[in-house]
Amino acid sequence: MKKEKHQAILDEIWPRVKRKHLYPEIPMPKVGELGDSEEGAAGKDEGVGLEMKEKQMTVNSAFLSSLKGRIPEEQAIEALLDHGITHYTFCPWDFHTHVALYAEAKKVMGDKALAKRAANYFIDVVSDTHCVKKRFSDIPELHRSLKKGKVEEVIASLYQRIWGIDLGVSSSGKSGKGYEEAVRRLARIPYLDRSRWNESILKFCRTMKPLLLEEQQGEGSQGGKGESSPTGDHDFNNYSYEEIDEGMREYASEKMALSEFREMVEDFSEELKEAGYGMEGGMGRGRGTSIDADVLFYMKLAENYAIPLRKVLVEEKGTLHPHSHAPWEVGSPYQDVDIWTSFGKIMPGITQIWKKKEGKGRGRVEGTPDCLIAIDSSGSMINPRKSLSYAVLGAACASNAYLRNGSKVAVYNFSDAPMGGKDTLDYTDRREAIYRVLCKYFGGGTALDLDDLVPLIRSRKNLDLFVITDMKITNLEALISYFGQIENRVTAVHIGENPYAARFEKAVEKRSNINIFTVKRKEDIPNIILGKIREYFHSTHRGP
Amino acid sequence: MKNLPHQNKDLADPPSRNPRPIRNPFEEFKVYSFVKTDIPLDRIVESTEVVMDEIRRGYEKLLEEEAKELVWMVQYNTIIKAYEVAERYVKEIRYSAEDIEDFCFALEDTQRIPYLIPGPAGLYISALSNYAQEAEIVLKLSELKTEINLLGFRLPKGKRLIIEGDTGDFTGIGVEGGELVVEGNAKNWTGAGMRSGKILVKKNIGLHTGEWMMGGEIHVEGRVRGLGNIVEGKVFERDKLVYPGKARYPSLYY
Repeated sequence: MKKEKHQAILDEIWPRVKRKHLYPEIPMPKVGELGDSEEGAAGKDEGVGLEMKEKQMTVNSAFLSSLKGRIPEEQAIEALLDHGITHYTFCPWDFHTHVALYAEAKKVMGDKALAKRAANYFIDVVSDTHCVKKRFSDIPELHRSLKKGKVEEVIASLYQRIWGIDLGVSSSGKSGKGYEEAVRRLARIPYLDRSRWNESILKFCRTMKPLLLEEQQGEGSQGGKGESSPTGDHDFNNYSYEEIDEGMREYASEKMALSEFREMVEDFSEELKEAGYGMEGGMGRGRGTSIDADVLFYMKLAENYAIPLRKVLVEEKGTLHPHSHAPWEVGSPYQDVDIWTSFGKIMPGITQIWKKKEGKGRGRVEGTPDCLIAIDSSGSMINPRKSLSYAVLGAACASNAYLRNGSKVAVYNFSDAPMGGKDTLDYTDRREAIYRVLCKYFGGGTALDLDDLVPLIRSRKNLDLFVITDMKITNLEALISYFGQIENRVTAVHIGENPYAARFEKAVEKRSNINIFTVKRKEDIPNIILGKIREYFHSTHRGP
Repeated sequence: MKNLPHQNKDLADPPSRNPRPIRNPFEEFKVYSFVKTDIPLDRIVESTEVVMDEIRRGYEKLLEEEAKELVWMVQYNTIIKAYEVAERYVKEIRYSAEDIEDFCFALEDTQRIPYLIPGPAGLYISALSNYAQEAEIVLKLSELKTEINLLGFRLPKGKRLIIEGDTGDFTGIGVEGGELVVEGNAKNWTGAGMRSGKILVKKNIGLHTGEWMMGGEIHVEGRVRGLGNIVEGKVFERDKLVYPGKARYPSLYY
């Protein structure tokens, strides 16, 4: 009965709230009974007032009932909606900002749970302050009527100071005079300046740390698992899979730091698994068993680079025809986009591409060959699991280019191959399997075992080879002699000038199918490889 | 029957001649009035920025005068002179203890302050602390990447400076009756030339501790790596008096 009444109030005020927030693209909120509301109601607090899951807001009916007599239900609902909408329209805005704020908080707090809590408080302060400043809101009324713990009381004191509204918190309250200094420090933070959020959250955490530690210790002694914010917690349920994917990509490319990315993925492993990230059975939708943060880092980083591949003449059984639809990814060929089912939009999650299938018959048609990537993981190369390896990134970008064009990729990862330092992956289109082998690191000496390579090359009629190494290969002569016999397109990338590289260059200089790229600075590898590959494919293959 | 011709006429009419009322999709915004509220936060942030600009300018002037080639040598005369210059600029600014902490972090932001020279920076922060209105100043510097030298220089009587984090060399030199608390480690030459007052270091302290100190007390809760040539005063290591006491050779590891 209560629920229906609350739903009716919500239905009535929603158009007004939506208009106030300039019509945000979010679905109509619902009234429901949230999981821990009963527990919360029985305890010292009212439970959670609002839950957000993939933009769907649910207002907790039990929470509203618990506020009876302290604030009119209509005001409470409107305040909760204002708060929820502002998370979408201002702070954190997107997954990337959310994670970036958390990462900054962790630098000060040191502890995962404390950092999450500090980031949540910061996000709430920013959102509520934005609401109070920019939109006429009942949020102050809601805060006035909520029961407060020690930290909430400090936050309410902060609101009193920065909003200039009396929320009924006195300096002689639970927070007492000891927290006056904390409130004074917190009040100096430019919450509404988005460009300074990273700096602001550090300042916020420095001040909040003793309070949150005290709260955590109190909960620990009581066996509690931490209070939920009455206006709702901020977890990854707020974001869709596509938003998380996009955020991870941005985070990887912005930081370019493997250790920070790994730390973030490990901290949020449970949430990411919930969202569908897991290596087993594919890094896609569906719950997996574990997340390999390093592989995920290279995967997301490589997605920021797109290499166009010029097609070559390949012999097929027949011509290709559109067969089925697949979701479009950044870097997929635009010519395959089905504009009719994509509603004319190029946007991951909406746009669809045609998956083509061979028809019956035989002839020579344009296509993309499969690719064999040989990657050196000897001691002279960077360990991709310790720091950013541009060799792995370069190979990852190349493999993406082939996979996006419907080709398959095989990987031969080697150090001292005759002694067992090698891993081979047969032709596949499973991206995570390819990345796993690319990320393997053996260390030690460098020697190729041609007996491993030959079957991989001979089994394919049309094949590109991509070799990335520092060329300090002990059996280089054998490799040169083998490359002299094959007709496949070969892209060889070597790091730095050395006698081995010079010998290799001289030996294959007359071979038009072999292109060698020297990289003097390791950091240049992604750019040089990508640029040169583009140049190479465009200049040597002009189609029929 | 009379209506029929009219109906036909209506159908025959081009739409332009019989315009239907088209609803402006942005109609609702016509009456939308944007309510922008000024909140105290705006004023606080603005005034904080103004004060920070003044503090920053003072520091830049100090560098212009005392570290022209961006090189600054720690010598008795250079310290005294730089501090006098810092005092001159600091006296003109009205600031709070929180502004000092913000300045410490701004020093590491090259966008805001292009040059961080630990010596003059430390003297400038010392001058700011010594002339602050508050008797007790807490600087939460644990996340600062640079260890600033010369913090707590000439801390006067009645002032208490608490530094959360580690400090660099020459911490608390020439303390003049104030109380300096370092909630971390302090490097070499801590408390050199102090006249009176107290220095408390919660972790370890480096070499030449209390060199030429004329009075006051240095309490170290961790290890003292080496004492300097102390004239007068007391040094405690984990509550145990180490100077004056058994002969402990100055500047030696123990």
